[in-house]
Amino acid sequence: MADQKKIHLLQKASKTFLITSSIIMIFSGVALYLSLKSLLENEIEEELFSNKDRVEHLLISKPDLQGIPPIMVVEKVKDPQPAVLNDTLIYDPLQDEIELFRELSGTKEINGQEYKITVRAMVIESENILFAIVFTFLAIILVAFVFLFYLNKSRNAALWNPFFKNLAKIKAFSIKSETPLTLTESDIIEFDDLNREVILLTTKVHADYQNLKQFTEDVSHEMQTPLAIMQAKIETLFNGVKINDFQYEQLDSLQNDIRRLKNLNKRLIILAKIDNNQFADPQFVSINELFQEVLLNFKELASIDFKIEHNEELTVKMDRSLAQVLANNLISNAVKHNLENHPIKVNFFKNSVQIVNSGNSELAHPEQVFDRFYKESTKRDSSGLGLSIVKKICDYYGFTPSYSFTKSPETTTGFHTFKIRFTH
Amino acid sequence: MKFLIAEDEIELQESIAKYLSKESNLCEVASDYLEASEKLEMYEYDLIILDINLVTGSGLDLLKALKKQHKKCAVIIISANNSLENKLEGLDIGADDYITKPFHLAELNSRIKAVLRRGKFGGDAELVFQEIRLDTIARAAYVNEEPIVLTRKEYDLLLFFITNQGRVLSKSIIAEHLWGDDSDMLDSFDFIYVHINNLRKKLTTEGAKYLQTAYGSGYIFTAE
Repeated sequence: MADQKKIHLLQKASKTFLITSSIIMIFSGVALYLSLKSLLENEIEEELFSNKDRVEHLLISKPDLQGIPPIMVVEKVKDPQPAVLNDTLIYDPLQDEIELFRELSGTKEINGQEYKITVRAMVIESENILFAIVFTFLAIILVAFVFLFYLNKSRNAALWNPFFKNLAKIKAFSIKSETPLTLTESDIIEFDDLNREVILLTTKVHADYQNLKQFTEDVSHEMQTPLAIMQAKIETLFNGVKINDFQYEQLDSLQNDIRRLKNLNKRLIILAKIDNNQFADPQFVSINELFQEVLLNFKELASIDFKIEHNEELTVKMDRSLAQVLANNLISNAVKHNLENHPIKVNFFKNSVQIVNSGNSELAHPEQVFDRFYKESTKRDSSGLGLSIVKKICDYYGFTPSYSFTKSPETTTGFHTFKIRFTH
Repeated sequence: MKFLIAEDEIELQESIAKYLSKESNLCEVASDYLEASEKLEMYEYDLIILDINLVTGSGLDLLKALKKQHKKCAVIIISANNSLENKLEGLDIGADDYITKPFHLAELNSRIKAVLRRGKFGGDAELVFQEIRLDTIARAAYVNEEPIVLTRKEYDLLLFFITNQGRVLSKSIIAEHLWGDDSDMLDSFDFIYVHINNLRKKLTTEGAKYLQTAYGSGYIFTAE
């Protein structure tokens, strides 16, 4: 079904109309032609027979009748012959043409003498009439169909108009928007039904989404206090009774787990806040300066070589704290997955920034790299949220994030390149 | 020093009180809005640790009332909500610092000390520990009155150790204090070693002896 060729509803309706109307035209044309043709032939034959009869009657009173060639020919013959009906071509000196005639010939004994009587009728004339009728018919029916086609088309468009309007509204509807979906009413029962069902569905989905968002937010906030208690208790243990090294190690690792939860929470809250439009304070931020601050911070953390190979001035209008989150997440992702003793390259262009870190191999699912909780890293601390926050921030401002991997020609390693385009 | 801890989570309240009492501070506790506001009216405190979301009322209202009475007392807000707006609102009303749950007690302690050191609370901008002296305004360190040159992080590290002297500080506590959110991006806190070793060297043998390891991988700064 997925590969099926798609066609617009109105086009489909028009197409069906065109196909059926042309089939009707062809069939009715052929039928009319055939029936008229046989009708005309019958007429000619009847005329021939009656003409022959007339000639026979005439021969009784005028035995020397010659006839009017080529329409009527009378010959005296010795033996009787059976009546024959056939077509024949005869030269007509009046029109200087060879014409097709239908001829009936037969013998008749009149006053003891056998006469062969041949009567003919010109076929061409009747054929001309036949074609004239068929063509006139087709012309009328064609005009009617063309008229009907356009009438139908505009009627269909008007009929389906509420459907198309609502379809556009449904397309434009975002689950994240605060306002519920409203659809244009229609006097057609089926459309009305459809509207009601769609509204029912979206209202439910919308409510579910809002609940989920609220839930994530609430859980994130509610978790902070118990985490604070756990953390405080561990520190109380450190400083209270004498514990042994093993117990310390256990408590210390608990502390690390609390820290992970805390950071996870922090990120979920950032995501929720972006969803809630809580970063509506755009100002001009120098991306160069911002990244350089972040790089400075990271240099203190670990001995990483950062290289800036291309440094064009880049200023973007966005919330400063979000810009910081963006820079931090991109750089920390690069630092986290960079190979040891390899530099990380940060390049600034006129309207984009590029972060390149080394890596052993291409990601298995590069298209999912910005998804929530997608992890390829075996690193324990990776929350799987850093890049999804990057994506979210980009979506919020209409930036375009992209990822690519290039294999290095000399070595077995390659480069992961993350690029953010700041134009819309 | 006399502290009031207005926190409705009893467990957290107790832990904070226990940690802060170590340095012969007097810690009083309040478990809800009413208790806190009563205590604030009756007694004088040097510093209040104020939870914004008290069960029976908002800590911010308490803070507003306090500022109306023009009491000379420092306020540190603790909150489960780390939104910037909340933080700014708290600081606007007159809080001296704002810390988001969950936090390390050592971190809270160092924030308290920093607030109290500020001139308006009559604190001393200088911090002395045996032969080590820190000038917190100039961010300068001296051993036996000899100036020693420390990097930004080394100075912060030393300050953190001195304010939390006698307490066991795990590497993650130290890392979080020095690098905040960025600290969680590395798998191990080995980079802390580098900074601590550098600090040790700079403190000379004289000062370095106070910086001891605890339980194999933690640290404790003590004169003992």
